Amino acid sequence: MTWKVLSGNYAQSYAALLARAQVVSAYPITPQTSIVEKIAEFVSSGEMDAEFVKVESEHSAMQVVISAAALGARTYTATSSQGLLLMHELLHWASGMRAPIVMGVINRAVAPPWNIGADHTDTMSQRDTGWIQLYAESNQEVLDTVLEAYRLAEHPEVRLPVMVTEDAFYLSHTVEPVDVPSRADVDRFLPPREPHAVLVPGEATRLGSFTGPDHYVGFRHQVGEAMERVSKTLAGVEEEFREVFGRSHGGALPTYRTDDAEAILVTMGTSTTTARSVVDELRSEGHHVGLAKLRLFRPFPDEEVRALARQVDRIGVVDRSYTFGRMGPAATEVSAALYTAPHRPELTSFLAGIGGRDVTPEEVRRMFETLLSAAPPRTHWEDLEEAEEMRVHG
Amino acid sequence: MIEIRFHGRGGQGAVVASELLAQAAFLDGKQPQSFPFFGVERRGAPVTAYTRVDERPVGLRTSITAPDAVVVFDPGLLASESVTDGLRSNGLLLVNTPRPPESLAAPPGVRRAAVDATRIALSHHLGTPMLPIVNTAVLGALARATGVVSLESLRRAVEQFVPARPEENRRAASDGYSEVRAVEGTGSATVSGPKARPPAPRLPEGPIASVSSETIHTSAWRTFTPVIHLDRCTKCNFCWKFCPDAAIEFDANGYPVLRLAYCKGCGICAAECPPKTIEMVAGA
Repeated sequence: MTWKVLSGNYAQSYAALLARAQVVSAYPITPQTSIVEKIAEFVSSGEMDAEFVKVESEHSAMQVVISAAALGARTYTATSSQGLLLMHELLHWASGMRAPIVMGVINRAVAPPWNIGADHTDTMSQRDTGWIQLYAESNQEVLDTVLEAYRLAEHPEVRLPVMVTEDAFYLSHTVEPVDVPSRADVDRFLPPREPHAVLVPGEATRLGSFTGPDHYVGFRHQVGEAMERVSKTLAGVEEEFREVFGRSHGGALPTYRTDDAEAILVTMGTSTTTARSVVDELRSEGHHVGLAKLRLFRPFPDEEVRALARQVDRIGVVDRSYTFGRMGPAATEVSAALYTAPHRPELTSFLAGIGGRDVTPEEVRRMFETLLSAAPPRTHWEDLEEAEEMRVHG
Repeated sequence: MIEIRFHGRGGQGAVVASELLAQAAFLDGKQPQSFPFFGVERRGAPVTAYTRVDERPVGLRTSITAPDAVVVFDPGLLASESVTDGLRSNGLLLVNTPRPPESLAAPPGVRRAAVDATRIALSHHLGTPMLPIVNTAVLGALARATGVVSLESLRRAVEQFVPARPEENRRAASDGYSEVRAVEGTGSATVSGPKARPPAPRLPEGPIASVSSETIHTSAWRTFTPVIHLDRCTKCNFCWKFCPDAAIEFDANGYPVLRLAYCKGCGICAAECPPKTIEMVAGA
């Protein structure tokens, strides 16, 4: 292993290199571009033995990796925001064809108005496409999660595409020390893909062709069953990761200082790091607060959330995106998971960091105060008064 | 309530027939409902359409699994599709065929009716010789054989809702009405409900199929067959180029050879052939 000071984007590039991805295709979009630029360098220098297919759009990039995966190749692509939205149609194709594609997604706001800041609207809009979604908090976690994602995607119990996401700029363009594993260790953890249900050149085989209502439902159900097995499979993959690399990232919903907590915040991506520091501060001041990181968003870790709810009366969910006409999407999911829980805590949906706003320690502290107040609201927008004020005076 | 199921091939007008029947029933003062089920939407693929006729608004939105009558537009479907599935034991099977109704295979109690709607359609120049549109002639036969609609309402529905050749279509309906022949079933009616749904097959993991589409023969609905007169063939390849079904290959000398298993008899090759060496022959 080697320590390198890497951006989150380069962590993705190194992971694709180490995973020995055989076909890479992507279309540039801020703030993703440097991922595939770096991969293009790896390929042109001969360091990476892969086909790099240049295309004219994200839609085509996804089609390239779907086709390559259908022929048994290990594939990688990356995108962000509008580019991910353009892929939407083919995201359904990828999961329906059980293509084990791994994709890096830089979470960026969706226009209009035009904005390139961190925001989860892009991936939340892909919740129902049959892709596994893993959200990372650090560049180390990005690199490690991409390696785990290949094991998960290609696992006989799963066989579904995986997106590994990171917040725009807070990770994509942030450099920090990353322990880059050796090729030998990665090869030990991640052997070559064993193709399943793939096309063989010269043999007549059809993949994803017309299916009537009699069989279609069965194929949809299969995807659902595979999703059901993800959480357990991820736990096993993490265990093996720990054996090889000596670290892991806590599975679907790692928790922090939740013992005897009166209030817990559920966070995703980089707001987790800041919130963890605030938990430490508040704990040192004698407040009983804790944290849970929603690392796996699809499939949603219902069981883990219900276990969390058993030990607390107030839960706040911090969403970096908003579902129009509802609340934060993660809050909606937590709420649904709690419906069958024997103990249902008060739930507040915090909308914070939208469109690249900082989620500051002060803000996190206020969220805990709100959560512990006499009557916490159902939904609470951070930053809004200030934004309104700017609109009035600007 | 009377429930009727139509079996045809894309392009033959079975879907339009099910709608026309509904329009005619409405003109008779009934409450009809009609809807198609498509598999693959292309010419030649089997299609199913349904019509329900009742005195009251129809309270079902499902396919018809126990029809009172089954109407078959293309005798080729008798071999490839289970057209009589669920047909009521005292129901009716109506087939577009030049053969007599006695020759039709059906469950014992089922009445059998036959009408040569293709000949009627051709005599009124409905559709093209390659693809005669037989639906109005078939509907005339159905009106007579079942009494589900009056001939007068059927003729009025044709006049109002058939955009092309309404007069010829009206006459085809009348011809079908007068020419249809029906015979009783071969035995007493036996009570049998709709066929149970077969158990779901074990699916492969992922939507993969290892059967070549070459094994699926698409020629069953052909009414006219191309015959190539090689003595005048210039080997220009136009037939090969325009064939929409890749049903033309070449022999060692570069002359076109038909792959009849895939030829639907569309006649495009005959139309495009510059020296007109391709003849479309009925039956063959």
